[in-house]
Amino acid sequence: MLDERGLIEEARSLDGGYYQLKIAAPRIAAAAKPGNFVMVRVSPSLDPLLRRPFGILESRPPHIWLYYQVLGRGTRLLSALGHGDSLDILGPLGNSFAEMPGKRVLLIAGGRGIVPLFHYAQAYAGRQPLFMLYGGRGRADLPLLDRIKALPLRGLFIFSEDGSIGQKGLLTDGLEKIVRTERPDITLSCGPEAMLARLARMLKPEKTENHASLEALMGCGFGVCHGCAVQTVAGSYRKVCDEGPVFPLEEIRWPT
Amino acid sequence: MADLSANLGFCTLKNPVITASGTFGYGEEFLPFYDLDILGAIVMKGIFKEPRPGNPPPRLHETPAGLLNSIGLAGPGSGKLQEIIRRLRAKTTVPVIVNVCGEDDGEFAEVAGIFSAMDEVAMLELNISCPNVKKGGACPAQDAKHTFRLVRRVKERIRKPLIVKLSPNAADIVAVAQAAEEAGADAVSLVNTFLGLAVDLDKRQSVFANTLAGLSGPAIKPLALKLVWEVCRQVRIPVIGMGGITSGRDVLDYILVGAAAVQIGTVNFYEPAAAVRIIGEIQAEMDKLKIKDLSEIRGQLQA
Repeated sequence: MLDERGLIEEARSLDGGYYQLKIAAPRIAAAAKPGNFVMVRVSPSLDPLLRRPFGILESRPPHIWLYYQVLGRGTRLLSALGHGDSLDILGPLGNSFAEMPGKRVLLIAGGRGIVPLFHYAQAYAGRQPLFMLYGGRGRADLPLLDRIKALPLRGLFIFSEDGSIGQKGLLTDGLEKIVRTERPDITLSCGPEAMLARLARMLKPEKTENHASLEALMGCGFGVCHGCAVQTVAGSYRKVCDEGPVFPLEEIRWPT
Repeated sequence: MADLSANLGFCTLKNPVITASGTFGYGEEFLPFYDLDILGAIVMKGIFKEPRPGNPPPRLHETPAGLLNSIGLAGPGSGKLQEIIRRLRAKTTVPVIVNVCGEDDGEFAEVAGIFSAMDEVAMLELNISCPNVKKGGACPAQDAKHTFRLVRRVKERIRKPLIVKLSPNAADIVAVAQAAEEAGADAVSLVNTFLGLAVDLDKRQSVFANTLAGLSGPAIKPLALKLVWEVCRQVRIPVIGMGGITSGRDVLDYILVGAAAVQIGTVNFYEPAAAVRIIGEIQAEMDKLKIKDLSEIRGQLQA
């Protein structure tokens, strides 16, 4: 974990209000593992005050790639930056998705939840059998699809709520059949809370080992502020930043 | 080169920069960023006797140049903190201040006693001002009489210097500071967070389960500086100032109104190595203004 001044080398606007940044940050890039995230100071001013957490889409030293949606003031400020601008980046932070040699792994990504799973697929596809279930509201919500199709996945299953691409429906509509036919040992998931809650009800820990990466509001990103707490089924709290962001799916108390 | 040492009377710190409770974890978290020995002192995150889960999320809400928090003093309990402090001592010689909490006066005294007995602990800070424990933000530091009683009881149990951390949410913070002084406090630190409210218009309810939360960050600096100035004029014990410090100039502002040292808080969240920069800026600023040591400007505000 270190605080590095990153240099933006490419800023691209994609469909659906998504953006992609290519940043030279050699020391963070060298250490980043799939599932890690970074805290970015989107402006040198005191307003907004806090850094924002972003998943790492890809890391190929000396670069990391971030992929995000403009949702609020912080991401709007970030989207105004371009080639040659620099950013203070703290990372890599949090735990990661472990490589599981020989295991059949199903990656389940909803919308911008694709970020850590793309990183995982890119790092490990070809070394283990990977399947991906990827869904969003519509075609515009899945701007990375062409790049995902280029990865050596064993299977790719696309869902959209409006039917503009892939099968029409929620990605969880396809889950049971995919689990039955592809027989994954492990699922790794990231996406909206409602999607993860549904996965937690559908996936049985005795059949598959299930891990989910969580999104949270964060103050610091490295464990000191305790602002990103999430409640477990046991009733205790876990910090998403340094105890996560990856947790066993069954460990989290999901909204019903 | 300017002398940065900060005289608290009962001890002298290397420089006036102390990292504030709740914003610096238990020190260990900052070891990847810099050598803690450069600091005047560190204050541990507030501790109760037993582990505490903290408040339900959401716990944070960002405001313009500020941060509302309702963490609720989540922590591992006094036993675990003793282990952490012993482990930390092997890695740094920085003076360690334990921030002592309690649900009632008895617990405050008991926790203070536990850490007073540790050689690795330099002094204690009595956290009678956290707004996120009781509903409505109530805390002992809102009441001078309660503060007097509690500080006296804690002082009887300990042999280490005691800093009493005050609340800006008291009707008369000067009266509370004087009560702490009379009861034997060795110093006061102020301010803890200002009670604030953020609402969710759609749900027509507070953002926070506990309704109110504590505001920190640069937004509060003028308010905090005023309270520090007022208290400095009315007590003889040293005052440790805090609230919204992000630069060396901010530190000198607090010294000018009479603070003997300062604490830096929220800045640690978004700039982990902020203390290194701030200490460098104090040095540079003092050299530029030809200030030889802090006592030269301490309490020299012309008003």
